[in-house]
Amino acid sequence: MIALLMFVVVCMVLLLGYPVALTLGGVALWFALIGVTLGLIEASELLAFPSRLFGIMNNPTLVAVPLFVLMGVVLEKAKLAEELLESMAALAGRLRGGLGVSVVLVGALLAASTGIVGATVVTMGLLSLPTMLKRGYSPAVASGTIAAAGTLGQIIPPSIVLVLLGDVLSSAYQQAQLAQGIFSLQTVSVGDLFVGALIPGLMLVTAYMVYLMVLAALKPDVMPPPAAEDCPRGASLWAQLVRGLLPPMLLIVAVLGSIMLGYATPTEAAAVGACGALLLAALRRQLNLGALKSAGEQTAKITSMVFLIFIGASLFSMVFNAYGGDEHVHELLMALPGGAFGAMVCVMLLMFLLGFILDFIEITFVVVPIVGPVLLQLGLDPVWLGVMMAINLQTSFLTPPFGFALFYLRGVAPPELTTPQLYRGVVPFIAIQVGMLILLALWPALATWLPSVVY
Amino acid sequence: MTAVLSLLRLLERGNRALFALASWACFVMAILGFAIVIARYGFSTGSIAAQELVMYLHAFVLLCAAATTLAADGHVRVDIFYSRWTARRQALVNLCGSVFLLIPVMLFTLFISWEYVGHAWARREASGEPGGLAWVYLLKSLIVLFALQMLLQGALQAVEACHGWRKNEGVRS
Repeated sequence: MIALLMFVVVCMVLLLGYPVALTLGGVALWFALIGVTLGLIEASELLAFPSRLFGIMNNPTLVAVPLFVLMGVVLEKAKLAEELLESMAALAGRLRGGLGVSVVLVGALLAASTGIVGATVVTMGLLSLPTMLKRGYSPAVASGTIAAAGTLGQIIPPSIVLVLLGDVLSSAYQQAQLAQGIFSLQTVSVGDLFVGALIPGLMLVTAYMVYLMVLAALKPDVMPPPAAEDCPRGASLWAQLVRGLLPPMLLIVAVLGSIMLGYATPTEAAAVGACGALLLAALRRQLNLGALKSAGEQTAKITSMVFLIFIGASLFSMVFNAYGGDEHVHELLMALPGGAFGAMVCVMLLMFLLGFILDFIEITFVVVPIVGPVLLQLGLDPVWLGVMMAINLQTSFLTPPFGFALFYLRGVAPPELTTPQLYRGVVPFIAIQVGMLILLALWPALATWLPSVVY
Repeated sequence: MTAVLSLLRLLERGNRALFALASWACFVMAILGFAIVIARYGFSTGSIAAQELVMYLHAFVLLCAAATTLAADGHVRVDIFYSRWTARRQALVNLCGSVFLLIPVMLFTLFISWEYVGHAWARREASGEPGGLAWVYLLKSLIVLFALQMLLQGALQAVEACHGWRKNEGVRS
């Protein structure tokens, strides 16, 4: 009971706005202190903290995080995103709704390398919202498209959150098997999750694009076709495309391909991707000392931000489990009607609601270690579970009034874009997301088939 | 108060220097990681020491960049309410946060890791892998360095927040 109280207290203290990582750790520490003083828990339960910390420092999979962050930051600093958007818009410009479609595609490509919702939505908002409005797109459609495209990066590999989720799920999977008395352990890796997320991710991208094209055909007044002077033709178009689109595409295909074909671990592929991004930036003469310095600083900041959350969440889950929280959750989920289905629905709802106040990273570190082992013991597939969680959270970030993506977009949108317009714009995309969740629930093979073929 | 503040600011330079090192370490990690891939697939050789070095650099970045990231407000907050509050109220959150959350957590980390790290030093703990690096005790010492850096930055945050709270006394929320 105290464990659940601790969870509620932490959520309340988080709303005060002190950094999440330290709030998680701090609240847990006070609960531990009270518990030890009153004799409710053993002080020795806390002794494992240093070795947990060392485990975080010494985890080879997680080395992929700073490297993927570096890749994304360098691509951003080299202004690749801007050119990518321009050349995509030029390519798709002649299509009806082409600009919207290219925003979705760029969002998917770009976000794949950063995977942090806020950053992508802000970049995309600054880059494409003015252009879309200038070309006569309705504010609702324009803002909905950007918010949705900005969250795509979480599900499209190589996203950082999939690396983190993969790592947490892999230890949850081991725990689940040990608890069932299975000692010839099967494993699930970050690579598996990347491959598993590919088909659902591409399906989402396709669904977004189809929706935009249909809308453009049915209601040309909300998405007018581009004026003739906005579409370059012939040689200049191809030159622009080769320059803007080809290099980052090649980079992302190389990174993903080497993981899928088994040539490289995600960590190795991330190192190659980061060096590739540096090379691209150097070729465009964007690589001066100042740009390098700020890319390094931003990478170090994002990395320490992610891992401080991991450290705070470890302290939290240690104390949570010392109070028997893991057993409570286990009993609670087992007692739900409907077996695995009921437990899954309950967890998905909980994560959806938590997505209103917490980012993907925090939920991965706080919630997944607690509920993951129970769900996996019920026989759910770890790759499928990871992909479901990712799409679910992505939906949560889009949902008014609390969705993260909406907050970030609101922050960079011009004042003539009203909040109701923004909310109206995302509704169709939320419907697509929910549809995808239902499809994936009915046909888990959408996530599990590709990993079984590749490995 | 001012003397304390200037002392803390002086010490903070150490945090910034470590942060600058960490930001360059990111590039070293990438290049070293790339070299390892080339060595493995191009020349079929590998080096445990090089792989461990990448890991050491990673640990250095994630721990020793944290303090300056705090100073730059780079650690995520749930800012649904925070972002709408006055500077005075935000300062109060940061003052209470550093005194009741950050500083206790880092003191706890420091005390509970002291023996763990000391143990590694006593044995001059080295890598368990053949051909690995012999500096696991130094790697573990990063935990102590991290806690000290964060304590310093937390104290500075508390003092500055206290100033900010007093300065904006007249401001009504």
